[in-house]
Amino acid sequence: MTELITLLELFWSFVKIGFTSFGGLSMIPLISSEMISHGFMTASEVADIVAIAEMTPGPLGLNCATFAGMRAGGILGAIVANLGALSPTLTVAFIAAIFFEHAKNNKHLVQIMTGVRPACVGMVAGVILEMSRENYVDVPTLAIGIVDLILLLYVKMSIPKVLLLSAILGIIFFAVMGF
Amino acid sequence: MLKKLYCEFLRFGCFTFGGGWSIVAQMNELYVKQEKILTNEELLDITSIGRSLPGTMIGNIAMLFGYRMRGFFGGVACVFGMITAPMIVLILITTFYSMFQDNVWVASAMKGVRAAVAPVILSALMAMLHSAFKFPPCYLVALLMFGLYFFAGVSCVWLVIFGAILGLVICEYYEKKVKRDD
Repeated sequence: MTELITLLELFWSFVKIGFTSFGGLSMIPLISSEMISHGFMTASEVADIVAIAEMTPGPLGLNCATFAGMRAGGILGAIVANLGALSPTLTVAFIAAIFFEHAKNNKHLVQIMTGVRPACVGMVAGVILEMSRENYVDVPTLAIGIVDLILLLYVKMSIPKVLLLSAILGIIFFAVMGF
Repeated sequence: MLKKLYCEFLRFGCFTFGGGWSIVAQMNELYVKQEKILTNEELLDITSIGRSLPGTMIGNIAMLFGYRMRGFFGGVACVFGMITAPMIVLILITTFYSMFQDNVWVASAMKGVRAAVAPVILSALMAMLHSAFKFPPCYLVALLMFGLYFFAGVSCVWLVIFGAILGLVICEYYEKKVKRDD
């Protein structure tokens, strides 16, 4: 019975986190307060999970859900927490998808998207600069970034290959050569 | 078809570093360039809508794309495909937490991967550039939103709403202009 209550609490915590966040690092304060108040994680574990989530594939919110869920209720807990974090996707995004597919050729929606598309380009450009500021902290990381850019734009190498190559370069530069 | 979507997003999910923006680059590579079942414009639309809805951006993008392909279950297939790999990785990491914590090899590899994220997103952005600017003022919209995001830290939701309003204004202006010129 207590396990069921824990699972429900987990689910509800991540429903709240899901619906009140818009991705990325903006989720951290909310995740932190929810996790600590329910005793799912300690403050230092929250800091660790942020670092882990950034190093592993997958979005921060879902990675936190898996980590907290595992801690509080094993694999079942991880699944329940993920479903909670995905609840806006399975409801709001679903409704948006229906709406968008039906109204795709609506005159006003076409007009709206004419402004939203460049806005999105501006936003993504901002994201790229933000990440560059954080990730290019020394010469080797900058060198990896430049090599990757050339491989992507001119050699047309596929993304998974570029990421793998970067991991290998990272090991060579930092672990083997000791930069 | 559902299985194909699930498997494709399973693969995307393995390589979604850096807040998931690289999923857009991977979708551009597979669906726009190779299979040609999606245009750059449509991908931009899905991205901006997914970004401005609550919840995880790439979950929303997966749902919007999957729904377009195969309705609700298409969306579910994409969403669950996308989370499979990250979930397994995190379950393993949580189980062997202490071993991963201070491992030099893991940290070095990850530092390299993080350096790749910005170029990956940039390459996707370059591919989408042509379809984003229908009228000349659209360049100003992009510049303005970039400034608001990067220097003022304005939330993406507001930027999308602001962009939507500007889109209405710009289009109405050009439609009136066409009528006047006639």
